[in-house]
Amino acid sequence: MNPIAVALWNPIVAKEYRSRMRTWRSPLAMTVYVLLLGGLGWAIFSAMAYSSRNSYNGGQAANYGQGLFLYLVLFQMVLLAFITPALTAGAISSERERQTIDLLFVTKLPAFSILWGKLLASMSFVLLLLLLSVPIFSLVFLFGGIELDQVAAAFLVTAISALTLGLIGIACSTAFRRTLPATVTAYGAAFLVLGGTLLFGLLFPTDPDPKATVAPAPPAVTYLSPIIPLITIGTNGPITNFGVRNGNPLYGTSGAGGTVACSVTPGGVKSCYSVPSGPMVKGLIGQPYPVQASGTMIPSGLFSGWQYWQATVTLQLAICVVALILGAMLLSPIRHLPWRKRAPADVKT
Amino acid sequence: MISVEQLTKVYGRRTALDAVSFEVPKGEIFGFVGPNGAGKTTTLRILAALLEPTSGRAFVDGADVSLQPARVHERLGYMPDFFGVYDQLTAAEYLDFYAACYRLPRARRKKIADDLLELVGLSDRRDQAVDTLSRGLKQRLCLARALVHDPAVLLLDEPASGLDPRARVEMREILKELQKMGKTIVISSHILPELTELCTMVGIIDQGRMRATGPVQDVIRQLTSGRRLRITVLGQKEEAAAVLKPLPMIHAVSTLNGAIEAEYEGDDATAAAILQTLTAAGIKVSGFSQLEGGLEDAFMRATEDEQ
Repeated sequence: MNPIAVALWNPIVAKEYRSRMRTWRSPLAMTVYVLLLGGLGWAIFSAMAYSSRNSYNGGQAANYGQGLFLYLVLFQMVLLAFITPALTAGAISSERERQTIDLLFVTKLPAFSILWGKLLASMSFVLLLLLLSVPIFSLVFLFGGIELDQVAAAFLVTAISALTLGLIGIACSTAFRRTLPATVTAYGAAFLVLGGTLLFGLLFPTDPDPKATVAPAPPAVTYLSPIIPLITIGTNGPITNFGVRNGNPLYGTSGAGGTVACSVTPGGVKSCYSVPSGPMVKGLIGQPYPVQASGTMIPSGLFSGWQYWQATVTLQLAICVVALILGAMLLSPIRHLPWRKRAPADVKT
Repeated sequence: MISVEQLTKVYGRRTALDAVSFEVPKGEIFGFVGPNGAGKTTTLRILAALLEPTSGRAFVDGADVSLQPARVHERLGYMPDFFGVYDQLTAAEYLDFYAACYRLPRARRKKIADDLLELVGLSDRRDQAVDTLSRGLKQRLCLARALVHDPAVLLLDEPASGLDPRARVEMREILKELQKMGKTIVISSHILPELTELCTMVGIIDQGRMRATGPVQDVIRQLTSGRRLRITVLGQKEEAAAVLKPLPMIHAVSTLNGAIEAEYEGDDATAAAILQTLTAAGIKVSGFSQLEGGLEDAFMRATEDEQ
């Protein structure tokens, strides 16, 4: 086998597959996962079908498709945020608790391979869950309104987010000797990444520059959360109501960006039409509002011109690298932390 | 094969090992004796490159445990004082997993697993789940695991703890077999009679300090001053003791369960002379035997200063 294959495929992966798939827990987890996702899809479809009876254009199949897709990807992300830390937070600490980790350390497997093997085994299960959800997502195409690239981008964001949470879980698992504190910390970190960053955007929104010719964007840290890109992918529109101070005008934003202008015709019929966003658009109450974002691109800031999902994937991959390095450093039985100078093993005479 | 020089390990304010030194030549079985908390496991973990010494050095087959841990792991089979077993794996899969961790080619792994299972007498259990094996069988499987990469040195931490007498005897037979195969074995234990029979060398450790080390009989001789006689007489215990005490070669005389125990300095001729003196004094001797100095005795002597 070539060195790359050896590095990627190590005996831990095969052993973990065997151990995991021989218990009743894995098939149960897969069944519950599919049932939850399918159940939610069915519930949303029923709700939309019910509400469409009172709507004059809500019954369009494309709207069904888009709505279903958005809720499914968000729910799938939340489900994985619950599952992934549970899969990885015990990966190393349970070996410590079972006192089998020393037996691995005395073999030829380097510490990094142990970490990598554990990660690969856990993440393959997450990947399996993602694959299981594909048939449910394919139902969305029956309704239309969603392109294949949207599905691919949403799955990529979900998979990378799960990988990030998985790596954070593994890093926690190596840092703590016991599984319980490792799990609690991993869930805390998962909440911070998913929800904490959004909370940050709400508490410390970007102050828009009234003279700016580009629309303000939420603080860069909020892109860490996969929720924002998933919404932009699902709605195929910008984030307008989040992360910008006074970024939510009282009137005038549509899902597709820009503003909506309404007028009353001499015949007394009120009609509304979308106005593409320009440098400064006057709101209906006469106050100038900052430029509104349109499209799925980040309008300004650190990631100006990027797609939201690109920023999220980049930031999360950076966290993955940090967590991987930290995990590998903390795992070795003899920790040689870079900030701790290693004393030479001197001989007393 | 194993060389330990001035090994010291300090945990915070507690010194777990205090300048421990010993040597184990190739092919020897070294018994590492000491009470709980004496530093046996710490020493073995340092030898297995799982723990960094505060100071001092240790070598396994020429490889420095601090600087060349990978080379040490190649030469060393380590069996900790607990059963490291996984659920949901059979005995054969368990061995195959560790053989793969040692990067042994797939083609060889099956044969190695079969051979080792046969060596430890688990051939008929190869497809049994590891977590359903009894304690004794798990212990044997763990020994087989330590042998998958055919190491020259075996470190066994309390291999007999918690085993029933039959399992202990079986474990001892396996270890003798391994010695015949030329392995150097270090066993830590507090079950002393077993070590006396099995080990060729011994090291007595207490409170982090090496009290005595060397070939078993040397250590026993060194620590138990002189040899001992057990004498039984027909009702004349006091008279016999009175005859023995003034003799120059006798160190101490005590009566124990109706028999007299006398410690003396000298050889078999001296013992014969003592018997002659007793019979000449009209003492009716019904039993006269030399007591083997035991490791237990040596151990008690070595550690009694600290008690």
